[in-house]
Amino acid sequence: MNKQLPDVLESVFQKMPHIVFEQQNPRRLRVKIRADALSTLLELLKGRAGYLHLSAISCVEWPESDEFELVYHLWSYEVKTLVSVHIYIPKKPGRYVSVYDIYTPAAFFERDIHEMFGIYFEGSPNMEPFILTEWYGPPPMLKSFSTLGYVKETFEWQDYSPQWLQEIQASGGGIVE
Amino acid sequence: MRPENYQPVEHPPSHEFELYFGPNHPGIEGNYALKVRFNGDKVENVTADGGYLHRGFEKIMEERLWIQNVALVPRICVPDPPPMEETYAQAVEMLGGLEVPERAQWIRAMLLEMSRIAAHLFIVGGCAATIGQYSNMFWGVADRDRILDLFEEVTGARIYHMFITPGGVRRDIPDGFLDRLSHLLDYLDARLPEYDDLFFDNPVHHRRAEGIGQMTQQQALSWGVTGPNLRACGLPFDVRRDDPYLIYDQLEFDIPTETGGDVLARTMVRRSEMIESTKILRQIIQRLPHVKGPIRCPLPNPLAWNIPAGDAYARTEAQKGELAFYVVSNGGTKPWRVHVRGPSSMHAVQVLEKLCLNARIEDIALIMFSLDACPPEVDR
Repeated sequence: MNKQLPDVLESVFQKMPHIVFEQQNPRRLRVKIRADALSTLLELLKGRAGYLHLSAISCVEWPESDEFELVYHLWSYEVKTLVSVHIYIPKKPGRYVSVYDIYTPAAFFERDIHEMFGIYFEGSPNMEPFILTEWYGPPPMLKSFSTLGYVKETFEWQDYSPQWLQEIQASGGGIVE
Repeated sequence: MRPENYQPVEHPPSHEFELYFGPNHPGIEGNYALKVRFNGDKVENVTADGGYLHRGFEKIMEERLWIQNVALVPRICVPDPPPMEETYAQAVEMLGGLEVPERAQWIRAMLLEMSRIAAHLFIVGGCAATIGQYSNMFWGVADRDRILDLFEEVTGARIYHMFITPGGVRRDIPDGFLDRLSHLLDYLDARLPEYDDLFFDNPVHHRRAEGIGQMTQQQALSWGVTGPNLRACGLPFDVRRDDPYLIYDQLEFDIPTETGGDVLARTMVRRSEMIESTKILRQIIQRLPHVKGPIRCPLPNPLAWNIPAGDAYARTEAQKGELAFYVVSNGGTKPWRVHVRGPSSMHAVQVLEKLCLNARIEDIALIMFSLDACPPEVDR
């Protein structure tokens, strides 16, 4: 046990089974927990330790694993520590429960993750596309989606040889690729 | 000329109608759209529609080297780019365990505060323009230009500086720069009473902005509001004070708050923040000449620069609110994942949708500008 851990957080963590935490620096705490225990932990953090601010929800994809990593960044105006809660959810079927009823800002981040990674959050108020309204391809932030490959598939190269370029090429110059 | 087969569509008489506000509209900051349903001139429902400025930064950054991303990052937010560079650099430094030399930290703080004043002038001017006081906008943009001149002197660029790199800054400040900055601060101080007469103490502005777009502290906290908008609700929260970075813990400054929570309170918080930033800059002008040493820590060959595996959540107080970068490395030469949490991702979508309810048609632009909602950060 780290001595720098605030008492409130220690009392919250004692209530949670299977919790792994690591202090990155005095104001950053990294927590790993099972996916089904997330809402309990968030409710405890919000109710007991004053973690009122959901700073962000980030999604990380690891191609070699069959799980998505979701990271919930929470900030407490009282304890003044940032807790990053890491959970892992299976890529198939890619559904998870929304935390909108605990944190209102979650709606934006969950909507964003849904269109960029394809994870559906049940209970989130709006899962319609926000940024990619006219995009019908696969979720673009997945590592399997290659931007260069998409460009090569969708667009064609056009030959470009104006008169001035032909003159340069005739005198031995040209475009270096 | 109407075509021959033209048949007018008969609608039932109704006070309800829908309007598209944006994506190209002078009352919208950047390219952003609001689908608004009105009853008479009262707003019944607002749906934000983003994506017009989506450039896919998060995806592009995964395919660039750590050092190449320095050129990419400031372009995420147009009016206030240095905090973007600073936050990215901070995340990389946390991951790679880099120590930033003290002199570089002071130079960085100087740039950040200069940018804060410039962006506040810009946005307060924009706020005034939405209620018809265009002179304030012209003044704000002209005075911001003087700060941009100084930026050009230090960094070589006016808007996108690409100056704050992981491990330090690119160059030292030129000779005599601090004197010129000091002159500029004197000038801005002298201008403030004129701004007060024109805008901040203007009874027309007060009557127009009071009670518009109001939220309580409770609402602000639950909606994830940060920055000046949260301080206008009375909560003195500032990342520079509560989660300090650089040398902000060595500086003396107040965190201005207001209690109104409306458009007027938000504007007045911005006014006080400009004064606080000039105070900070004066302290930096005094201290910076005495801080000697390198401006960069030694970096390996940037083409083969591997950052150790791990993740870091760096956050700073940008002019608009809390800005955060979540950066994950798998030990390679490129970032594995970068997530940008722009302050406006809350303000421009959920908060704006809620504050506009029951407002009037002419208040929408004012509320949007007073929240300082910046679409490029939302779309990334």
